[in-house]
Amino acid sequence: MVEVKLEGIVKTFGETVALKGIDLHIKHGELFTLLGPSGCGKSTTLRIIAGLDFPDEGHLYFDDEEVTYKSSSERGAVLVFQNYALWPHMSVYDNIAYGLKIRKFPKQEIEKRVKWVLELVKLQGYEDRYPTQLSGGQQQRVAIARALVVEPKLLLLDEPLSNLDAKLRLEMRSEIRRIQRELGITVLYVTHDQEEAMAISDRIAVMNIGQVEQVGTPKEIYEKPKTEFVASFMGKTNVIPAEVVERDGDKVTVEFENFRLDGLTYKENNDKVVLVIRPERISLHPIENAVAITGKVDLIEYYGFFIEVVGLFGEKRIIARTINDKDVAHLRPQGEVTFYIERNDVLVLPKQNL
Amino acid sequence: MKVSKWSERLFGTPLFEPLVAFSYIFPLLYLIVFLIVPVLSMLLIAFTYDGNISLHWFKSILMNSYYIQIPPRGEFAQKLTTSTGESLYLIRGLDFGVVLNSLVVAALVTLFTAILGTVFAFVMARYNFKGKNLFRIALFIPLLVTPFVNAYVIKQMFSEFGLINYIFHEVLHILPFRIKIDGLAGVVLAQSMAYYPIVYLNAYASFINIDPTLEEQAENLGSRGFHLFRTVTFPLALPGIAAGATLVFIFSLEDLAAPIVFHGDPLAKKLMSYQIFSKFIYGLGERSPEIAALSIIMLTLAIIAFLGIRKYVSLRQYAMLSKGGRWKPRISDPKPWQALLIYLVLLPALLITIFPQLGVIMLAFSERWTTTVLPQGFTIDYVKEMILNPDVRRFIVNSLTYSGAAVILIVLLSITSSYATSRFKGVLSPILESIVILPIAVPGIVVAMGYFYFFSAVTPENSPLNPTSLYGFNPALVLILAYSIRRLPFAARSVYAGLQQVHMSLEESSMNLGASRWKTITGILMPLISLNVFGGAMLSFVYSMSETSVGITLGSINMAQAPITAFMKEVLMSAAGSINIAAALGVLLIVVQITAIVVVNVITKQRYSFIGLT
Ligand SMILES: Nc1ncnc2c1ncn2[C@@H]1O[C@H](COP(=O)(O)OP(=O)(O)OP(=O)(O)O)[C@@H](O)[C@H]1O
Ligand SMILES: [Mg+2]
Repeated sequence: MVEVKLEGIVKTFGETVALKGIDLHIKHGELFTLLGPSGCGKSTTLRIIAGLDFPDEGHLYFDDEEVTYKSSSERGAVLVFQNYALWPHMSVYDNIAYGLKIRKFPKQEIEKRVKWVLELVKLQGYEDRYPTQLSGGQQQRVAIARALVVEPKLLLLDEPLSNLDAKLRLEMRSEIRRIQRELGITVLYVTHDQEEAMAISDRIAVMNIGQVEQVGTPKEIYEKPKTEFVASFMGKTNVIPAEVVERDGDKVTVEFENFRLDGLTYKENNDKVVLVIRPERISLHPIENAVAITGKVDLIEYYGFFIEVVGLFGEKRIIARTINDKDVAHLRPQGEVTFYIERNDVLVLPKQNL
Repeated sequence: MKVSKWSERLFGTPLFEPLVAFSYIFPLLYLIVFLIVPVLSMLLIAFTYDGNISLHWFKSILMNSYYIQIPPRGEFAQKLTTSTGESLYLIRGLDFGVVLNSLVVAALVTLFTAILGTVFAFVMARYNFKGKNLFRIALFIPLLVTPFVNAYVIKQMFSEFGLINYIFHEVLHILPFRIKIDGLAGVVLAQSMAYYPIVYLNAYASFINIDPTLEEQAENLGSRGFHLFRTVTFPLALPGIAAGATLVFIFSLEDLAAPIVFHGDPLAKKLMSYQIFSKFIYGLGERSPEIAALSIIMLTLAIIAFLGIRKYVSLRQYAMLSKGGRWKPRISDPKPWQALLIYLVLLPALLITIFPQLGVIMLAFSERWTTTVLPQGFTIDYVKEMILNPDVRRFIVNSLTYSGAAVILIVLLSITSSYATSRFKGVLSPILESIVILPIAVPGIVVAMGYFYFFSAVTPENSPLNPTSLYGFNPALVLILAYSIRRLPFAARSVYAGLQQVHMSLEESSMNLGASRWKTITGILMPLISLNVFGGAMLSFVYSMSETSVGITLGSINMAQAPITAFMKEVLMSAAGSINIAAALGVLLIVVQITAIVVVNVITKQRYSFIGLT
């Protein structure tokens, strides 16, 4: 178990600035996730922590020891590669035993541990297979077993589930969570799938173009995004450009299209804003003290256990979500619809240039 | 935990690691000391006149009509009469002077091989016809290297009463007169026949790698037949064809075997390679600045061709992989007129070009070959003699020893250099990458000259390492070094290709799990690239066995330690032994080469790869 600290990590590849100054603090025994779109620098951060790349600037600490330029082989931060990187000329057993042999464990101890870890990842009996004789999910479990068996201080997982089918993903996701809790190791997890991040993490850092936009628990990030980017990245949501037209201390009135919403909370100076409203927070039946806006029905989409109504408000489309069939029974395409929104469900954030 | 800025710049890793540094420094130093410095030592001599730096020797070459002769002298073909009273056309070529002759010969050989190689490649890549597999195998036969004897057979084929006159004059009556090809024309002929498969292999690979959808799209837009070939197919294959042709240009420029075989005609001697060679042999111990200057001229031409093609090909690295979808090769049945062309033109051309190798085998097993069409009288005496006579066997043992030792060095050099250039991006990487392939562009005779000057300057006088030693020079070390340098590109390419197929994460995960770099290289990388190393080693071994230029110059100073090729040259130049024994040695080389090809094929399951320039 280890605590990881990154301070002002900058990394460039020729002209591209991959990381623009990353500060992170990952605590003992935490499952911490780096979440962000493709190319935002997640893998680069992970490789720097693993010691496979070195930053141009900044410092990296494991507990209180600076390890910025310690070689990968001495660092004990074991990475599970996105492509698994299993050695094709070695059997499952040899792949897993490799790290133990390097650490000069006695033969019996090696056998014992390999057996233990194979049970952990549910691959008993696969010792003598070669990587090419395994399915994608099995390969991935071997890769995780190979990392776990050396009991790393820190386990780094780079989109470990991205090559799996939906069902196996869910299974493996909870497996990883279970194993992490069981062994109590610090895990740094990389993904670009926000749902996966929410499900698995203790805390999440949302990254965008080489920067960390927000760090927090899944709940915080989902409910209290600090920036437009984070809000729009965390699942399907309404992001409505608007303008502040009146201010009274923290309270503002904003306008979009021809609609006005008053009594919203906003502390920044910038008048160009976005309104972030989660679809499930918009009601289709009247609520007391809520803002009501009326527009046209554009679309009604059935998703099974919930239904989405896309309303057209001027030029702007806003989505409302409900689990109640009755809410939509009276709606007709192109007919009128009223959305009811409680004021504290509307997040006003400064507009970003995304 | 020491960060080093210069290690990052030079080697591309901020943590200085001795093993990484070694991978860069060892091949770099080796090539500088044993290739660059010897060649540069010649520059020194060539640019010195009366103790001053001067262009004197270059001027004197370029002003001398012996070297540059415009307009050319002589008659391209002469009409003579044979002893039997028939008319005979003797074709020898024109004399443009030594320097221009070399250029003209190389240009013609390049042109002929480019045409022949491309046509064969296109037909093999795009048409299905009866006997195609035999064609495929036959096309490898001219690639089998049998120094001197090969050209000797070609000379016989095209002599007054040779095979060609027999078939086309006596039997088929296509030729109304006899022809005899000698002199520079003979050299062009012999080289064209030997080198066209090089273009063929490169062009074939290019045609095969063209994404069929590119051509289908053009057809779809209305392009057909020759127009399609000219506007789409050929331009896409051109980089490959050009790379092969350039290789031929350089090979032709530096070739010594054909001029030596045809040296009975003084015109064949008027080539740069032969001039340097003969001055070297007859003026041993002298430092001739004129010859050094001539070597520099030849080297410059080869380097220009080499750099030109690298630049050209790198500019035209068309990304040819299609984005998914099917990849159905475009193979069709030839139309009747195309089939006619295949069987009436290509087949005879193929048969003629594989005859030299067959001739060598026949020669090895026959008693004599004078004025008859084919060698006469079957015997295994010469093969027996080659194996049993210690005076001949010695050459085989020498060649095997030197080639074996060279291969060990080559393996070490190609692994280190390929590892450095494929895994790290320091400023030294591109330098190392170019310098490793550079030996292709340095003519063997230039290496020989450079070594001669270099080793006579840096080794103690009269030591066995000094070529001018009075007490007997032992060429072993010099030959091993020369082989290791000259054949390095063959293996380096193969190892580099292997490394590129191993994803770096396989090594990273090993180091990330705590393994040292050494352990990672030996435990993970080497097992994964062993077949490429093996293939490269075999290839360089085979071509070390048949190395000519250095072997017949430095290697023949002391015949007790000489390699096979030195002995073969002695046979051809001074009738020191029978040509049949030389042919028997040629057969031995063929056996070695075929064995290597088969073994590499079986073990690595890869197609035999000849060398390209890129
Ligand atoms: N070795 C490299 N050389 C040059 N540029 C690189 C290199 N590695 C990463 N980059 C660049 O740095 C940026 C961040 O890359 P990185 O691989 O960290 O992204 P990522 O967040 O992991 O993306 P993905 O989700 O697609 O894996 C990208 O713009 C990428 O092109
Ligand atoms: Mg990545």
